[in-house]
Amino acid sequence: MKKVLILGGGGGGAILANLLPEEEFEVTVVDRDEYHVFQPGNLFIAFYGDSVEKYRRPIRTLLKPHVKLIRDEVTEVNLNDRKVKLKGGKSLEYDYIIIATGANLDFDAIEGNREILESYGDFYSTLENAEKLHKTLKEMREGRFVIAIADPIYKCPPGPHKGAFLSSTLFERMGVDVDVVLALPFPHAYPSKTISDIIEPELERRNIEVHTFFTVDSIDVEKKRIYSLEGEELEYTVATVIPPHEGPEYKVEPSEVKDDSNYLKIDKYTCLIEGFDDAYAIGDCTNAPTSKSGVTAHLQAEVVAERLQGFDAKYSGRTNCPLITDGMGLFIISDYDHPPIPVRLSRFKRLLEDLFVATYWDAIRYPELWQPIFHAYFEATSPAKLGERGW
Amino acid sequence: MPELIKVDARGMACPGPISALTRAYRKAKNGDTIEVLATDPGFKPDVQAWVKRTNNELIELTEEGGVIKAVIKVTGKRG
Ligand SMILES: Cc1cc2nc3c(=O)[nH]c(=O)nc-3n(C[C@H](O)[C@H](O)[C@H](O)COP(=O)(O)OP(=O)(O)OC[C@H]3O[C@@H](n4cnc5c(N)ncnc54)[C@H](O)[C@@H]3O)c2cc1C
Repeated sequence: MKKVLILGGGGGGAILANLLPEEEFEVTVVDRDEYHVFQPGNLFIAFYGDSVEKYRRPIRTLLKPHVKLIRDEVTEVNLNDRKVKLKGGKSLEYDYIIIATGANLDFDAIEGNREILESYGDFYSTLENAEKLHKTLKEMREGRFVIAIADPIYKCPPGPHKGAFLSSTLFERMGVDVDVVLALPFPHAYPSKTISDIIEPELERRNIEVHTFFTVDSIDVEKKRIYSLEGEELEYTVATVIPPHEGPEYKVEPSEVKDDSNYLKIDKYTCLIEGFDDAYAIGDCTNAPTSKSGVTAHLQAEVVAERLQGFDAKYSGRTNCPLITDGMGLFIISDYDHPPIPVRLSRFKRLLEDLFVATYWDAIRYPELWQPIFHAYFEATSPAKLGERGW
Repeated sequence: MPELIKVDARGMACPGPISALTRAYRKAKNGDTIEVLATDPGFKPDVQAWVKRTNNELIELTEEGGVIKAVIKVTGKRG
């Protein structure tokens, strides 16, 4: 039996654990939280007022019975000695390790960011903070709701846009005169010009005020102003600033496997940590040059599951990030060899996204049953196939 | 001491070389020089727009063998 240790029971870790056949692998998952969180749920809580319970499940109930779960915090990983230390004092050994502890959001990196998080909530960090943001927004009668970004590398690149679209609908439903302001570090309304050209008319139609080349430098909570690195400033009534993200805070030996943002340096195809053949990293904790998304974590988990079973699987860099408004949606589709392809907003794609959300818990618990369906979808919508024709 | 900060954004499309430049810019101070290498063709107009908006100086913008090189003198940072 090969001993596989998976750090993190989020999107990437849970799917990988469930994909490994119990006849061949002895699988242990370590997570510090009791619950697995469906992070896109933050949006539905913050802007539709959904309940927190809808978007979390005890990790234990998502893992197959043969997968062992340890509830503890990882404090040190030594890849040279194949040892992992936990806060509770335990030390674990392995034949193969997969690091899948996600990204850390650093609310202390930007002056004023923790204060605005505590005052208003947000739609990125926790389900409870999303609930708090919903309450804040429901009390607004006028003024400016600003969504801004502190670093261009954050999970779910269309997340802030979804926040802008869904909040504008919320204010419309409330019948209040609140302006939605979206400030982005990019040259256009979206990092990719192709996608930007598609969504700009929709942003305009909804009177969402877009500021480009705006990367948050600091927040003055007294004056209620956000200052950008590029030298501009914005006034807010209520604001949320997506904080800089980082890889694991805990110590990893050898330290060279982390980059200067603590992300684990991996081979972008195999997900092997640089210099090792028994250690992988998947999901939001890596430096892979693709979007930090649940789809990435899922596809990388499949690649690692294959590789552990002796197959030469590779991750293509495929993304499928949904950008939704209240009634429409599109998917941002790209891979390592293709920039985002042209895609149209449609009602059908919004419903497809609703379908993905509805299947989420089942797809985590039984990835092997959903695999053929997802594979057919990814194949039919691959950038190589759709190319310039678009979708 | 002014520093030379090198940013290799070759092969990066999304979020793109401007994002790599932005990250380097956060750490830079006035007087430093940032040199960016990129292959994304959108980088040329984007970096021109960026220096204008941020009040920095574009000292060099060249393209050779599909690689775009931009050299920026940092002058626009607030104190
Ligand atoms: C608002 C929002 C909307 C999004 N929308 C989408 C979307 O529509 N589509 C999409 O594909 N993606 C979306 N994402 C991104 C997606 O949620 C993440 O990319 C995905 O969850 C990454 O999976 P992961 O396994 O790498 O990390 P996570 O799911 O974050 O899991 C990490 C796990 O590790 C555990 N952990 C962390 N540190 C430790 C430690 N030291 N010790 C023990 N355990 C630890 C955590 O408790 C957690 O359970 C969205 C994200 C947000 C915030």
